[in-house]
Amino acid sequence: MSNKKEDLKIYWNKINYAFPILNDTIFTDCSIAEYEEIQQIIVGLGIQIKIRDLVFVHIEKYLRQHVAPSFWSKFVKTEEDVKGFQLFKSAVNDLYDSVSQFSGILERLTILNNSCNDSKPIYGEKDVISGFKQLVRATLLAQLPLDFQVIINNFYKVSFNVFDYEYENNDMGEDVMCNGCLNECSDCNCMYIVKVFHDTNRKLMELQLLERLTGQVLTNFIQMRIESHIQKLCTGTFDVSHIEFLENWLNTNVMSWLTRIYCSGSSKPSPDDSNTLNAISKFKQKLSYFLYHSYTKLRIDQLFNIIIEYPDSQPAVDDIKICLEKTDLRSTLCKSLQSALETRLLHPGVNTPDILTAYVTTIRALRHLDPSGVILETVTKPVRNYLRNRDDTVRSVVSSLTEEGAGSELAEELVKFAAEADGDSDKDEAWDEWNPDPVDADPTVDSSDRRANDIISMLVNVYGSKELFVNEYRTLLADRLLAQSAINTEKEIKYLELLKLRFGESQLHFCEVMLKDISDSKRINALIQQDKEIETLNRKFTSNAMILSAQFWPPFKDESLELPEEIKRHLEAYTKSFEALKGNRTLSWKPHLGNVNIEIEIGEKKLDLTVSPFNATLILHFQDKPEWTLDELHQVMKVPVTILRRKITYWQSMGLITEKSTDLFVLVDGSDGNKANVATNQVQEMICEDDETESVMASAHDQREGELQVFWSYIVGMLTNLDSLPLDRIHQMLKMFASQAPGTECSLQELRQFLDTKVRTHQLVYQGGMYKLPKT
Amino acid sequence: MKVTIKSWTGVATWRWVANDDNCGICRMPFDSCCPDCKLPGDDCPLVWGTCSHCFHIHCIVKWLHSQPQQQCPMCRQDWKFNNK
Repeated sequence: MSNKKEDLKIYWNKINYAFPILNDTIFTDCSIAEYEEIQQIIVGLGIQIKIRDLVFVHIEKYLRQHVAPSFWSKFVKTEEDVKGFQLFKSAVNDLYDSVSQFSGILERLTILNNSCNDSKPIYGEKDVISGFKQLVRATLLAQLPLDFQVIINNFYKVSFNVFDYEYENNDMGEDVMCNGCLNECSDCNCMYIVKVFHDTNRKLMELQLLERLTGQVLTNFIQMRIESHIQKLCTGTFDVSHIEFLENWLNTNVMSWLTRIYCSGSSKPSPDDSNTLNAISKFKQKLSYFLYHSYTKLRIDQLFNIIIEYPDSQPAVDDIKICLEKTDLRSTLCKSLQSALETRLLHPGVNTPDILTAYVTTIRALRHLDPSGVILETVTKPVRNYLRNRDDTVRSVVSSLTEEGAGSELAEELVKFAAEADGDSDKDEAWDEWNPDPVDADPTVDSSDRRANDIISMLVNVYGSKELFVNEYRTLLADRLLAQSAINTEKEIKYLELLKLRFGESQLHFCEVMLKDISDSKRINALIQQDKEIETLNRKFTSNAMILSAQFWPPFKDESLELPEEIKRHLEAYTKSFEALKGNRTLSWKPHLGNVNIEIEIGEKKLDLTVSPFNATLILHFQDKPEWTLDELHQVMKVPVTILRRKITYWQSMGLITEKSTDLFVLVDGSDGNKANVATNQVQEMICEDDETESVMASAHDQREGELQVFWSYIVGMLTNLDSLPLDRIHQMLKMFASQAPGTECSLQELRQFLDTKVRTHQLVYQGGMYKLPKT
Repeated sequence: MKVTIKSWTGVATWRWVANDDNCGICRMPFDSCCPDCKLPGDDCPLVWGTCSHCFHIHCIVKWLHSQPQQQCPMCRQDWKFNNK
């Protein structure tokens, strides 16, 4: 027994000699030959499995207690990049050294393991070496400190700097400082850094720690670099496409650097190392996605400015278009653009024409960006809602539609549409180029509608009906026709034709008649001038007329004006002459409309003016009698005092009339007038302009009110029978009974407004959500 | 001060001198045109019958063509154009 015990002790010592790790050291002189013997002893005792396991337990302990702590102890927070660089380098070196010290033990362990024949996996791996590596990794990572990334970060920052400048500018000769390592050129560290860098990476790679330890840091780091690179490159310029450049940058600078990390220094991976190739290509995919992602984000932030500068910024829009296909940022784009529009465009400080211009460029840019029109539809919804609430939207649109010259995009658009309509309009879309609608599209809307909408119809759709636009155009046209003495009918007809293509013949029929009235008037004037009586009258001054078909013109503002006798005689003669010319027809004059060319002689000065009939009448009265009170003027002119007071300012500003005392106006005579006139020249211009811009037509609002008046009798009937009704019931019933009335489609909102005005004038009572007739 | 009028351009609306506002056939205002026309006035004139009723010429002609007897649609008297 004791003998055996002794033997066993010797055996144990020998085993300890072969595997010093059992006593927590690594160093031994045991050679292969010596081990052969020990191996035989172990096999002889049949304890190979036990010994193997025991050795592994001890290795594990050793790693846990010595290797890992000493590795991580190097990871201290440091401010300086270079220090972090050194620390990381030495940590990796030490680790590598201590791991390679195990090589002897591992060799013996392999032999031992081979004799075990139990094919039990070692730490999940097949052979001892990889099992050991697995063990090292596990132990290290189990003790991962919180801020281990700091010095790794430092390490890569320093080395990336070197690479970056190596690529970007090869001639650093002029700088005293080396841009790479930030040392003076004379003792540039770049070469050293590169060498250490590759060395460290190779070691990490060998330990298979590269990915796990530095992957996150590397990704973060590269992403940061990409972001700052994009920021640097792309702010402020929209007229260049950056995608290709960025892609190129990623492929050369970043990727070659990455390849070097993975392939320990060589710039090309060896083609048979599939692991590395895989890792690199995966990394590249991640990075290129990230590149697109951050570029798109940047562009989306700038999208409002890009749109404002469109079409100069077309390259940027093209970029976004490509990027959107590769990233998932459509909804982000919609949201951020929408809020940008809301904060920068849709507030009371912006003029309606400016909003319209922005809206038009938005339509153009987004149409280019997304031909399906879905983004456009989503993004511009608030713009449309906002425009709907502005009073002058229609007028702005219509006037820019008909505006001439540069800067009027809508007019160009109108002409463009005409050209397209002339061309082949019903060409079939190529079926093989069909694309489904994007996922965020509203399925209830026909996609072809969305595509077909052009800018003008988008604008018209703001209101949902063409009618309002046509009406506004009619008013505008009426104003223009009446204001100008020499009307360029040809131009107007040209525009009318363009508008007809767009809005349809029937809608613009009225305008056609209006234009015809004007040209007919010219002819009738020419005929009437030949009349004998008129001829004699005309020796004093020529009287002309614009003869309008009242049914086709927008309603005129009702204004009374009593003209001077002499003028009335003229007009009567004209009417007679007209009646003679056109049997069974007569004229009713609108005395306040038209224009008068007068010459005023005052002192030595002559003024040649074209004024409204009102102003002409006024000054003619002052010619007869130099002093008038407002009341007297009211008597002769039959014009309300308030209007008189407002309009007399015209002559006051000309310096011909002054207010001597309250409500008493006097003609300024002779030389005084001259002076006053010169002094107030500027005022005059201002006031004149003000005078002209005032429309003679009843406003669209008034007109609409008039139309709704049709419903009033129905509503009264309803309320008499049913006592009280809520708004939507009234609306429904009107729809049922009164929808046949021509040209009266009435929305709930309009009805509410209409009823509210009735409430205000005490024709209705609103109580608890119900409308009632007031008790009489 | 002396004011001389050089020219006076007034604005007037024309209307038919008739004893009614609307055409009894198409119910459109006389000053407008019949449903088949686009332009009022000379292009769509009125005619009077001897019974003193008047219509758009196109309306009454259409009416007379569609009737076996030539009667005024308002008073059923024989229709004769009044060429006053």
